[in-house]
Amino acid sequence: MKQVKVTLVSGRTMRQGIGLEEGKQSEGYLQSVRTVMLCPEDASALGLAEGQPVKVSTGNGMVVVHWASDKSLGKGMAFFPYGPWANQVYASSTDGTGMPILKGIDAAITPAEGERVLSLSEIVESLKGDL
Amino acid sequence: MKHEDVICPFCGCLCDDIEVTVENGHISDVKNACGISRSKFLNHGANRIASPMIDGKEATLEEAVKEAGCILSAARRPLVYGLSSTECGAIGKAVEIAEATGGALDNTSSVCHGPTILALQQVGESKATLGEIRNRADLVIFWGSNPTEAHIRHIARYSAMPKGMYVPEGRKGRKIIVVDIRDTGTSKLADQFIKVQPNRDFELLQALRASVRGQSLKVSEVAGVPIEQVVDLANQMKEARFGVVFFGLGLTQSDGRHMNIDAAVGLVAELNRHTKFLLTPMRGHYNVGGANTVTTWQTGYPYAVDFSRGYPRYNPGEYTSVDLLAGGEADAALVIASDPVSNFPADAARHLAKIPVVTLEQKTTPTTMVSRVVIPVATAGLEAEGTAYRMDGVPIRLRKLFEPPPGVRSDEEVLTMILGELKGGSGQ
Repeated sequence: MKQVKVTLVSGRTMRQGIGLEEGKQSEGYLQSVRTVMLCPEDASALGLAEGQPVKVSTGNGMVVVHWASDKSLGKGMAFFPYGPWANQVYASSTDGTGMPILKGIDAAITPAEGERVLSLSEIVESLKGDL
Repeated sequence: MKHEDVICPFCGCLCDDIEVTVENGHISDVKNACGISRSKFLNHGANRIASPMIDGKEATLEEAVKEAGCILSAARRPLVYGLSSTECGAIGKAVEIAEATGGALDNTSSVCHGPTILALQQVGESKATLGEIRNRADLVIFWGSNPTEAHIRHIARYSAMPKGMYVPEGRKGRKIIVVDIRDTGTSKLADQFIKVQPNRDFELLQALRASVRGQSLKVSEVAGVPIEQVVDLANQMKEARFGVVFFGLGLTQSDGRHMNIDAAVGLVAELNRHTKFLLTPMRGHYNVGGANTVTTWQTGYPYAVDFSRGYPRYNPGEYTSVDLLAGGEADAALVIASDPVSNFPADAARHLAKIPVVTLEQKTTPTTMVSRVVIPVATAGLEAEGTAYRMDGVPIRLRKLFEPPPGVRSDEEVLTMILGELKGGSGQ
């Protein structure tokens, strides 16, 4: 299966900020946080079709999300807005500081053909252990 | 009715020039606001939680408060968390609740600028108000921060664009430099962009520090930055009349964490041998500064406080929320003005979904979705007054523009009721 190794960076976006004030069940918020941004070269190397989901995997977990192309990213870098989907791949270890590492994480991106992006309720239910 | 000079309760800029038009208790127009602020004001009434809830069923406020009191009283290790998007009066009450329950008290700085606080406690801080910076700064460096997405009017109001008393040319009189691992909206506005390799900010900061001190580094590059560029940046910093580094989570959430800030403070201390230089964290939530300040007034510590022995103890890494939750230690939580389920790594969020949680919030969030008790509250700065601390530590009074929905109280009022329940059920 095609795969690209990336450095994963999380952060805020204006769209996410606007969306969260509309409400965290609003389409604007959800769309902003369940989409990982890839550089055009990496998206092309994966042979991704528009609308096809991708799997983001780290040593701590994996999650299936939408993808979008971002020309400002260099090759081998992916940007994942803070939110319930991005949290699935971060470690909770803080190394005695209180702060988990949320930027600069080694990750792999693969096409997720045939898989689907979980809804917000499904993510929440999975946290409860009900899925 | 038109309100002028309204404070925006979204980010740490606390912009104080918003014009808000209110008609029939709802906001019909907003001027001077950024996109996020505009969304906050215009959507304040959308998707509000309609009623207090217990186990997903509607309840009265009194029933919800009573249930909250039962949950917190029964817990052996309750966590009181959030607080950065409410006003200082509510924060003070939350501290009292943590003390009354013998629990842990933490705020969102533990997952944003907590490492900054750790470093500044070790090595001190060179700071000034944003007004001082606006009037004097001729070199502005954004390091691991991107205000075009997160503090949108910062550039226009405080740092890059405004004409100041000693910078009468405005933008033309200031040099803007961005240091980041990727191109951003802010780097596009800058005079110079320095791309540092991920997780290697510490090295670049230390190399700059050595260069400012006059030491020659026998390498061709540091953290992906050619040594000539490092030396040039060091010289630009030394030659500035009044310089400032605005740094963000690019430094606190990557490898090194508090040690990155330690190195940045060391660099700024070195620069102050040559000129005036400052270091200012870009605080995210509008009153995360207040959460640190009020918690420090009342306990002596800014976050990560434990009351289990009856007196406050401080230990980030042990009494911080992600550690208490991921380690399975907390057995109940009171969440105020925050959404940890959306912002904590899954292990911590998973534990929060398994313990009884009481949440005070305006709108449905993943945290309210896992909470046993949900109490809708008024929005500070729109439906309730109070005080908030700007990112530079300046306290600013938030105004009440109109009444909250019927029956909805402020965070401070609801927390006072919960505290009363814990202290004997009087509600006072």
